[in-house]
Amino acid sequence: MKGTKLKVTKSVEKTIVNFLEKGLDKKCFDIVLIPLKVPAGDSFAWVLVQDKSLLADANPLPPVMTVQGAKALSSVARKGKMSKRIAVVMRPCEIRAVIELSKSNQIDLENILLISIDCPGALPLKNYIENPKESENKFNEILRSAQNDKGTQNDIQWGNESTRPICQVCDKFTGTDIGACQSDLHIGILGVKDGNISLIPNSKKGEDILNEMSFPVEKLSNNWENKVKELVKVRKEKREKLQEELKPQIVGLDNLLETFSTCINCQNCQNVCPVCYCRQCYFESEKMKLTSDDYLMRAESKGGLVFPPDALLFHIGRMTHMSLSCIGCGACEDACPMSIKVAQIFSFVGDKSQEVFNYTPGKSIEDALPLKVFEEDEFHTVET
Amino acid sequence: MRARALIYPAGDKMKEKIGVYVCECGPNIADNVDIDKVIEVISALPEVAVVERHKLMCSEDGKKFLKESIQKNELTRVVVAACSPKQHEATFMKVCESAGINPYLFQLTNIREQCAWIIADKAEATERTIRYIRAALRRVPYQNALEKKEIEAKPDVIVIGGGIAGLSASLLLACGDRKVYLIEKANTLGGKVKELDKLLPRMESSSNIISQKIKEVENNKDIEVYTNSEVTEVLGFLGNFVAKVKTNEDKELELKIGAVVVATGFGMLDIKQIPRYGYGKYDNVYTALEFEKMNTEGKILLKNGKSPKSIGIIHCVGREERGYCSGVCCTYCLKFANYIKSKLPNAKVFEFYQELSIPGKAYQKFYEDTKAKGVDFIRSQDIEITEQKGTLTVNYKAETQTLEPQNVDMIVLAPAIEPNSDADRIAEMLKISQGDGGFFQEEHPKLAPVSTSMEGIFIVGCAQGPRNIPESIVQAQAVAGKIFSSLIPGKKLEPEVKTSEIFEALCIGCQACLTVCTYGAIYFDEMKRVCVVNEVLCRGCGNCVGSCLSGAISTKHFTTIQLHQEVVEALR
Repeated sequence: MKGTKLKVTKSVEKTIVNFLEKGLDKKCFDIVLIPLKVPAGDSFAWVLVQDKSLLADANPLPPVMTVQGAKALSSVARKGKMSKRIAVVMRPCEIRAVIELSKSNQIDLENILLISIDCPGALPLKNYIENPKESENKFNEILRSAQNDKGTQNDIQWGNESTRPICQVCDKFTGTDIGACQSDLHIGILGVKDGNISLIPNSKKGEDILNEMSFPVEKLSNNWENKVKELVKVRKEKREKLQEELKPQIVGLDNLLETFSTCINCQNCQNVCPVCYCRQCYFESEKMKLTSDDYLMRAESKGGLVFPPDALLFHIGRMTHMSLSCIGCGACEDACPMSIKVAQIFSFVGDKSQEVFNYTPGKSIEDALPLKVFEEDEFHTVET
Repeated sequence: MRARALIYPAGDKMKEKIGVYVCECGPNIADNVDIDKVIEVISALPEVAVVERHKLMCSEDGKKFLKESIQKNELTRVVVAACSPKQHEATFMKVCESAGINPYLFQLTNIREQCAWIIADKAEATERTIRYIRAALRRVPYQNALEKKEIEAKPDVIVIGGGIAGLSASLLLACGDRKVYLIEKANTLGGKVKELDKLLPRMESSSNIISQKIKEVENNKDIEVYTNSEVTEVLGFLGNFVAKVKTNEDKELELKIGAVVVATGFGMLDIKQIPRYGYGKYDNVYTALEFEKMNTEGKILLKNGKSPKSIGIIHCVGREERGYCSGVCCTYCLKFANYIKSKLPNAKVFEFYQELSIPGKAYQKFYEDTKAKGVDFIRSQDIEITEQKGTLTVNYKAETQTLEPQNVDMIVLAPAIEPNSDADRIAEMLKISQGDGGFFQEEHPKLAPVSTSMEGIFIVGCAQGPRNIPESIVQAQAVAGKIFSSLIPGKKLEPEVKTSEIFEALCIGCQACLTVCTYGAIYFDEMKRVCVVNEVLCRGCGNCVGSCLSGAISTKHFTTIQLHQEVVEALR
């Protein structure tokens, strides 16, 4: 792996922010999209930062995912290309969602520099808002464990039980091909034994930026790659295990009905989903609203009908619409007031449906959305 | 069976007067569906105004009966339960129209192919028939009257490829009331025929025939010829295509035409791909076209300037590799033997063939005459050419037996005919498919041999498969006939009425629909950032509807509510 080493000063976060300041100074990019701590100090918001002094409050790796970054970027860059060069710092799952959105023309990637960072996981939003200060300390401990790594399995607390369940089984927490994440530049913070983090160019744009900022691109030690691959392996096993446990809860209509029986139809999951980009969700549209006689007929034939109706249909429908692009970021589960395992279920189904099309969302802008391509020779599994 | 009322969710749908007409289709339906029972159950439904049956609804008598009944009962909606819509939907739509009811307020329910013919048990077939009629009854109040439109049709034609097939088609088509644009990639017209010396079986001069055709084309004021030019884009459908042509001056021409004739001809297999023939490796091994050239130039000579004393002509080169017989090589190989015998009467000629294919009324005599001139015909396989000190050797087997190799001075190879190197690009551009061997696929090998799956796009000559000259000309004439009968100058065309529409308020501009539209009928409005359907190009296939996750697209006559009502009732 080739890249540039960056000496950690103060903290990993500060080092990354310094790098961005330098980029702004050298006019390698004109503006930065990054999470900033809100003035009240108890949350984070995406801010398009022009004024460099604002970066003092920036946190490239906040303990929580308040708004999925791709959603933020899509609102900036949906309507055509940016006239200024913008650097965007995000978690790998956010970058993968950005790639998916760009395939559906919801983000124009021209003039956008995507920077991903190794992700230690995020804390559940619910836990964080109960006690932000304590949560931050907890998150810091998890994050710093990468630097205290003495080489044993237990040193690294990334994705431990304090993080969201979906983060605990995330096998794509990193950039480059290893994380199936097509950022332009990846910041490796795992396997840091020498007090350096790695800037790894992952595209022509990424290479050009390092050149412009006069960073030497050289062969990096294998520490980062080894550590990342080791963790990916562990996570893959955990992921499989979790999915085995989930299976009995979601296979078959009865189990699904049971699992989603507590759903209150708030559709938060859909609202926060970065790859649900429709202007209006089909399942909220008039097409799904039937007349009273229709409902009476259904109640008559079934003996009873739950209202609001079609809660499960909404989830199954949403799943068929977005599971090929589901990047497993967990925003839906964070947003569910009823603590339904939405992200775990959706990413499980996503894994399976993506496998069928041999498609990994976010991996490459070159891989066309399966819905948009027709192959004569595909999908034999559904043939009888 | 309980007569259960259908519930029409919107109250005013009850106001419709619906008539149901059950066709017995002679014994086809009546034998396996209890029509009395069907009539009994359907009549009991409160929303049905009239139920009638007829022995054969598509007969003149049946149509008259249907028309009169619609008028007498003042129906507003009509359901006919009969055969497949493929067969008689258009027939009954016309009847509805003549009875003064919009044809799109009618629904044909297929109880023949989908019930009577496929369900063995009569009671079950009857039950299914009732179910399907109920589904149609539930759907039909939601159907909307659609208005037919008429559009001008362009009678003009673009012909791609100026070989014998393209020239022949152009000449026929340019009959005075339409313009023909002949686009040729090379710098001259004439194609491969121009490279031939003589034509079978009369051995008349090829150049005379082709140059006469070229002259006729060039002198025809209704044919515009563009050489060194390429068609780069074709959008549209029968009667309304827009083609872009890049001309030799690098200018882009936009042509509005009604039909496209693809006469892109063929290429020859590159024999270097099969090294055992020694082509490109040994001197004095020639391809058929190289040999034609040599003969045209007057002398059959070896590289060293001497006359060959013996020549081997090898048939079927690449037949196994390509997987088909090119059909024309055997006869031209006979012609080659005649070239040799007339120039070098004492030279020995060996024809190595796998299977001899010389059908047709004129060729048997030609074959026998050639044989009588002292030409050896050797049935052979696994041919391998070797060379030693300037002598070529044909090593071969007959059946399983290896025979004595044959030494010759010169070898002529007859390579397989392949699709033109442009075929893939053209297939993609025109959205026509490629079949066996990569040649353009005809719509039906027997019934529609010059049409393609795209209405208004035709294939002629070797673009469609290996063909000889008369066959290519026959195809050109067939295409002219197809075009004359479908694109009559001054006659208007009716475009598809059941087109798709995109609701701006729901479209987010992801352009998935645009990617899946085969007809180029959707474009992206940069200002509004939404997709828009070009109604003239849209054929109503519904691909876009399926691709739109937002549900912003709907195809007229197949709207969500119509399908929903139909399916709900079919499954009730």
